Amino acid sequence: MSGYSFIEATPWQCAGCRLPLTPTTVSLTYLNSVFNVELMACPRCGMLLVPESLAAGRMLEVEQLLEDK
Amino acid sequence: MDQLQLRAFENRCIQEELPFCTAACPIHVDVRAFMAGLAEGNLREARKVLDRTMPFPEIVGRLCDEPCRPFCKRGEIGDPLAISMLERACVGMTAPVLKLPKLPAKGGTVAVVGGGLSGMTAALDLGRKGRKVTLVTAAEGLGGSLRSLPETMLPREAFPQAAALLEGYGVTLMLAADLTVERIADLIATHDAVYFDRDEIGPQLVPQAAAQPDPLTLALPAEGGFAGGGLGEDSSSFSVIKQVEDGRRAALTIERYLQKVSLTAQRDKEGVCTTRMHTVITGMASSAVLIPADPALGYTTAEAQQEAGRCIRCECLECVKQCVYLQEYKEYPKTLVRKIYNNQAIVQGTRNANRMINSCSLCGQCTVICPHDIPVPELCRTTRQDMVRNGHMPPSAHDFALEDMHFSLSESCTLARHQPGTSASRFLFYPGCQLAGSSPETVVRTYRFLAGRLQGGVGLMLGCCGIPARWAGQEPLFAETMDRFKADIARLGNPTLITACSSCLSIFDEFCSEAEIVSLWEMLDSLELPTGKTQAPGETLTLHDPCTARHQETLRLSVRSICGKLGMHIVEHDCNGPLADCCGYGGLMQFANPQLGGKAAGMKAGRSEHAGLAYCAMCRDNLAASGHRVAHLLDYIFPVADGQNPLARSNPGFSRRHENRARLKQDLLNSLWPEAAVLQPEHRQITLLISREVLDLLNSRHILEEDVQKVIHQANQTGRYLVNPGNGHQLAGFKPVRVTYWVEFEPTSRGYVIHNAYSHRMLLPEVGQ
Repeated sequence: MSGYSFIEATPWQCAGCRLPLTPTTVSLTYLNSVFNVELMACPRCGMLLVPESLAAGRMLEVEQLLEDK
Repeated sequence: MDQLQLRAFENRCIQEELPFCTAACPIHVDVRAFMAGLAEGNLREARKVLDRTMPFPEIVGRLCDEPCRPFCKRGEIGDPLAISMLERACVGMTAPVLKLPKLPAKGGTVAVVGGGLSGMTAALDLGRKGRKVTLVTAAEGLGGSLRSLPETMLPREAFPQAAALLEGYGVTLMLAADLTVERIADLIATHDAVYFDRDEIGPQLVPQAAAQPDPLTLALPAEGGFAGGGLGEDSSSFSVIKQVEDGRRAALTIERYLQKVSLTAQRDKEGVCTTRMHTVITGMASSAVLIPADPALGYTTAEAQQEAGRCIRCECLECVKQCVYLQEYKEYPKTLVRKIYNNQAIVQGTRNANRMINSCSLCGQCTVICPHDIPVPELCRTTRQDMVRNGHMPPSAHDFALEDMHFSLSESCTLARHQPGTSASRFLFYPGCQLAGSSPETVVRTYRFLAGRLQGGVGLMLGCCGIPARWAGQEPLFAETMDRFKADIARLGNPTLITACSSCLSIFDEFCSEAEIVSLWEMLDSLELPTGKTQAPGETLTLHDPCTARHQETLRLSVRSICGKLGMHIVEHDCNGPLADCCGYGGLMQFANPQLGGKAAGMKAGRSEHAGLAYCAMCRDNLAASGHRVAHLLDYIFPVADGQNPLARSNPGFSRRHENRARLKQDLLNSLWPEAAVLQPEHRQITLLISREVLDLLNSRHILEEDVQKVIHQANQTGRYLVNPGNGHQLAGFKPVRVTYWVEFEPTSRGYVIHNAYSHRMLLPEVGQ
């Protein structure tokens, strides 16, 4: 899933910094695998958004794939 | 599991044994597949089956003397199938479909002396194998004694057709040959092997052939000589299929002879053989053989289809017929073990069978049903142990259930105390984690009853027997749990355990044999039940034994005795007692494969049209979750004051079950042991407002309300969360242990309204790390 982008317009804002979220590249890890993906995050404090569509979709698929490796 | 264990396991499953007809056929024609083709109206498919095994189907299909017929299972419920008549009909209505390949030419020369069916068969088989074969006969054509049959039994063109077939495989035919003693001696001298078809060749012509050939190999004492065919050993009967068998047997021997390998090794499955096939015919209707409208013409297509439709298609699959798991994966034990073996052998790549291995309920129904006691559950459980040991167990399979077990064994839920006001216990009531989770009030009422009726002190112990760890293959965790349990009961003076749960009982019986144990049901059956309050349901209930009571016969009898004393009208269904289904909880099936868990519960509940009565708390809740009306037996022995119908109680779900256990301990301490109160963690004070839909979502996603509280508590503590200015909702993620939970919530004056929650196991660099 490395190189994937999950950038989408979102109404969520960082509550602490009062800033709209912007695209950022982060490293996700699971069972010794690392994936660099683009997620929406607070440009100041880095607070991330994992949307439901990602958690219940692509992320779950990759988790299950890795678990059977 | 090594290769030997694999083979031993595979050998116990008899699904792939030959059906009775095929085993009784000297050349093992797949009669079952033949009948299936005919019954489906697919004549080509039926013909293909004959072409695959029969040499010269045009001849053998018309003349076979069907030694298989007396072994047809259908004969035990009506008439055996008219196998030979159906074969005759099939070859009469079809042209050859399958032409078996000819292997590349090899060395070695073979003479077949005599053109009867056995000689023809030997020549055909050896020709197909690429051997150089010469068939010599004094007759004008092939067929030997079959040549004298009337046209109505065998069309005259059958023999020229057979000759063309043989020549197609490179067999040299020498018809009308002058077969003198000298000529035969010459054939012997010029060929590596010679087969004498005794349907045509008598001992006066060939002195060597006068000796009896070896029955297994048909080899004559003279080197390179083989003989078969003709009349049987008792010289009284001529069997067509016996000619074929001899020809085929001799061809195989000659092939081995030419290869210079053992003529005798591993030939026990050749010819008529025994079979371990097990086919249950109970409940099948008897049927008579169909007589063709015109017996002289034989079956029409429609008649053949109808007669073949009587075939039972013998197989075993007894375990699969009942097991939702084997049905789901379309396996029977033999194929299942092969998949498990292959899965375990993978070094690099995807282990596709992990989920399958984790989906078995380990209930043991298949082992009871199997004529060879095949231990599928033990295989799955020990494989899980291997997976855990090798680091190949998918973490998501059992994490949720094991966390639940940890919670049941945590300070929040555990309790081990003597009866209030006493310092020793003769008995110790052990309700188990699931009854405590399903109906804590029932635990309290049952405990109060036991404490009031039994002498010598009745202690109470809340906890978990550790069976989830055992099912998950987590042996060290299970051992640790058992050790702790043993230490706890020792501290209470090793009282007699009274267990409400059959799973706990099975675990203690196996791993804590030093303890004295009695089931709650046997104990209640021995006491005078509470009077006045008990109320039998106004309808017939079907009793559902739990799978873990499969081997607990006295317990099951006590349950029935109690039902009788309560005046309940109980009916039994076929899959009860030793054959009981699992509700989906066993083996942690419903955690590794929630969908299958649901199916298992539905299947168990659906065994009867009546509302259900369970005495296992998990069965009760899972059957209720599958949409069926089901009560727990304790609901009728110790009814609640509010008069609610026990059959209508809904499934509490994971969160409520979790909370019930903690609340049970709190309530018991408050009412019975007020000296020790446990401080609730801060996040538990957060009030959640959750709609039915969102509750169901949490339950299906294995997210506990306590997890939601932890997320909100963390967001409030750190100020790190997202906000949607459009609707004022907040969104926060937090990872308490291994799973990251995201909760969309809305603070109100009455508490937090929960709009959504989801989770993932992949680790983020930011959230809660």
